[in-house]
Amino acid sequence: MNRSSDEASKAVRGPVGSIAPDALTEDPDDDFRLVALAQQGDFNSYDELVTRHRGRIFAMIRNMIHQEAEAWDLSQEVFIKAWKALPKFEAKARFSTWLYRIAHNTVYDWVRKRKIVSAGELNDEIFERERIDSSSRTTPSDSGAPDVSMVRSELRIKIETALGKLSPEHREVVVLKDAHGLSYKEIAETMECSLGTVMSRLYYARQKLQVMLKDEYELR
Amino acid sequence: MNMNSDETKLAMWLEDELQGEALAVFEASLSDQPERFAEREDVRRWRQQVVSTLPRSEEPPYPDFFNSRISRTIREQSLEAVPVVKRGFSWKSLLMPIAACAGMVLAFQIGVQTHDTPQEVVVEGAPKAIPVEPILYTPERGVNAEWFASADASATVIVLSGVAAIPDSMDFTETASTDFESEADFTAEVESATGDELGL
Repeated sequence: MNRSSDEASKAVRGPVGSIAPDALTEDPDDDFRLVALAQQGDFNSYDELVTRHRGRIFAMIRNMIHQEAEAWDLSQEVFIKAWKALPKFEAKARFSTWLYRIAHNTVYDWVRKRKIVSAGELNDEIFERERIDSSSRTTPSDSGAPDVSMVRSELRIKIETALGKLSPEHREVVVLKDAHGLSYKEIAETMECSLGTVMSRLYYARQKLQVMLKDEYELR
Repeated sequence: MNMNSDETKLAMWLEDELQGEALAVFEASLSDQPERFAEREDVRRWRQQVVSTLPRSEEPPYPDFFNSRISRTIREQSLEAVPVVKRGFSWKSLLMPIAACAGMVLAFQIGVQTHDTPQEVVVEGAPKAIPVEPILYTPERGVNAEWFASADASATVIVLSGVAAIPDSMDFTETASTDFESEADFTAEVESATGDELGL
């Protein structure tokens, strides 16, 4: 095989990189095995990783921007970026945390571009609840009795509305901590900030939410 | 909000992030602070509320299409990213600019040499050039034409005598063969076409 065809096949084959063998034994999500295969160019393994994590990434982005169609596109962008960056993944963190970090950057890039296009002041309009796509689904994915579902649906709208009034940083920390169950350390890695900053943001974000959702709190 | 070690531990304990021995030790230190346990219950309740309303995972619409579109984009981008193979070193690539420079220098030298006025060379036996008198023809009777070479003007001047004076009333446009109307239309068409091309 000559040099040019070798290079071409490498480009089509996809990412290369290797996860340390001991990392495979410390994999709580059983993702590293698939990542290692994907790094060798096995796209079916990567497709399985996409299937595993698309729900979380889509939910996270949707909770951030409240626009279903945009969230769908951005989620795809996350997985395409992740594929390109896969050779750099060294299994120092969970694969899902790594994806959240890419999602975080993708969302903030998108917001930045939107602000440039609209040439507006830096504000949080893009995140506001009022901009929620009218076609968005508001029903939680879990099924239950109709009355319970309705109450949850209403509560979700209220929580989303309150979240929409927070700054993007405060909203993200609540979404990652309370909805997605990430640890402080994982959120710090995702948002590329210190542990103290995450704790501080979460503290103030929850205080603001409690004030906005005071009625809900008192009823429960 | 400055965080020291105890505050960090407290924050982690409130979020149920402490485990094992660290959890046991810290909870023992809080045994006389029941309000902290109540606070943790509040946090747990809040988290439960959020989890029950904001799903941790939510399948994107058309999940199969979602995957296939990612797959297609990655394959397309992989094909686009095939690197262009650079040619190896070749003497040709080095000689080409040198040859070009040499050509330019040669052309310059030839230009400089041919710029000087060449000396007249007398060739023996060659026929001598004979100056030819121009023949002037005047179609109108009574009109005479003479010529002379003007060294000052570097031109040959023809002098006509016997030509009737041109009256002021003469309309030169009548003598012109160009149809002005059609010329104007032609110009308009050209401008129009140019305007269309520019999308004006």
